[in-house]
Amino acid sequence: MRGGIDFHVHPLLVREMIIRHPELEQACRETYHCGNAFQPLETMFLEMDSVGIDRAVLLPIDASSTRGATIYTNEQIVELCRMSDRFIGFASVDPRQPSAPDQLTRAIIELGLRGLKLDPGIQEFDADDRRLYPVYERAAQLEIPILFHAGMSWAPGSRLQRGHPLRFESVAADFPQLRIVLAHLCWPWVTDGVALALKYPNVYLDTSALYFDNPADFLRYAMTQQVPLTVFERSLRHQIVFGSNNPRIEIKCMARAVRSLGFSDGCLELIFRVNAETLLGRAG
Amino acid sequence: MIIRFERLEVISKKEFEMIDITPKVDEFVARSGVREGMVTITTAHTTSSLLVTEGVECLERDVPAHLERLAPKMPPQGTYGWYHNRYLDFDGRLGFNAGDHLKSILGGIQCFFPIDNGKVERGTRQCIYFVEYDGPLARTVMIQVIGQ
Repeated sequence: MRGGIDFHVHPLLVREMIIRHPELEQACRETYHCGNAFQPLETMFLEMDSVGIDRAVLLPIDASSTRGATIYTNEQIVELCRMSDRFIGFASVDPRQPSAPDQLTRAIIELGLRGLKLDPGIQEFDADDRRLYPVYERAAQLEIPILFHAGMSWAPGSRLQRGHPLRFESVAADFPQLRIVLAHLCWPWVTDGVALALKYPNVYLDTSALYFDNPADFLRYAMTQQVPLTVFERSLRHQIVFGSNNPRIEIKCMARAVRSLGFSDGCLELIFRVNAETLLGRAG
Repeated sequence: MIIRFERLEVISKKEFEMIDITPKVDEFVARSGVREGMVTITTAHTTSSLLVTEGVECLERDVPAHLERLAPKMPPQGTYGWYHNRYLDFDGRLGFNAGDHLKSILGGIQCFFPIDNGKVERGTRQCIYFVEYDGPLARTVMIQVIGQ
């Protein structure tokens, strides 16, 4: 299978960007808390090739207000995207800033980014806080998807409760035209996340979940025992996207894990490519 | 006494791969100026090995395949598991590559050869391999020459 899209990549270990922007090392080590070695883009592409992933959605996190740091600025994401047409850049804005909606417009219209990443844990907000609504409204107007961190977060200082999927229900209900992706299967609240996706067709889930064991065993638990695989295959086949959460998980390991679960070939095609293209297509 | 040290970057292109670094070692020894002494070659990683074996394509397939049988990434279903499959707070991620660490231990991380008359003294069939168990990755091999 080729043509896959990894919808959840934090490009924190890209050596070329660390050389250009040494401050990204601190963002990687301290803000995001990742200790792995920096790697050249060459090895990232080799790994993607090994499991049929052609493109990767790159996610920044603007945590200026809460951590005094950005884990990639929007401009840095653009810079990295210019190094390869295999990258699809998302924006991030600091939702505490009144200018966040206008920053988002600039990132999409002027910089050419394709979606918005928000992390309630690191950015310390509740997704259903009405003060965030201008950002959601702008994203809906721009016809871009929002990818939210959901479920448990390893990030230092983050609170689990901010990742509970029911925090996102009002967003889904009040902005039916807005496509939202809840990351990490909302683990441990997979059932709640699935319930949201079943009720709201504008809610998607990404597969980037790993909190114990290994990717294959963990996903087998989350996607066959916590919720039967048939629910994803039959009811949510158009609302699941492949995401690895690289660099916390290798792209190769997560891709193999998803393929090991027993989905039909048609469903895998939706998960690995078609659903992501549908989400991104709305961004023009 | 001459002591020379160098870090060599090796980029693996596959998950399992044996990469012949013999010419790199020979070249470094020649450049060092050492006539009589010893060269050590060490991988800087814990999911790779430094091995010496015959330089043939068939063994380049057999060696990692056999180590994978001894220490599999995924033990057979229902048999045993790895305690390493847990969150590693110093890395900010789970360690689910115990099998690769064990292959590294089984294979060894280092080899050394004598240097005589300015050349690495190897058997005619012996090649020096960097062995990757968790690629593709950019890796570091440390080479040190000690002698006179």
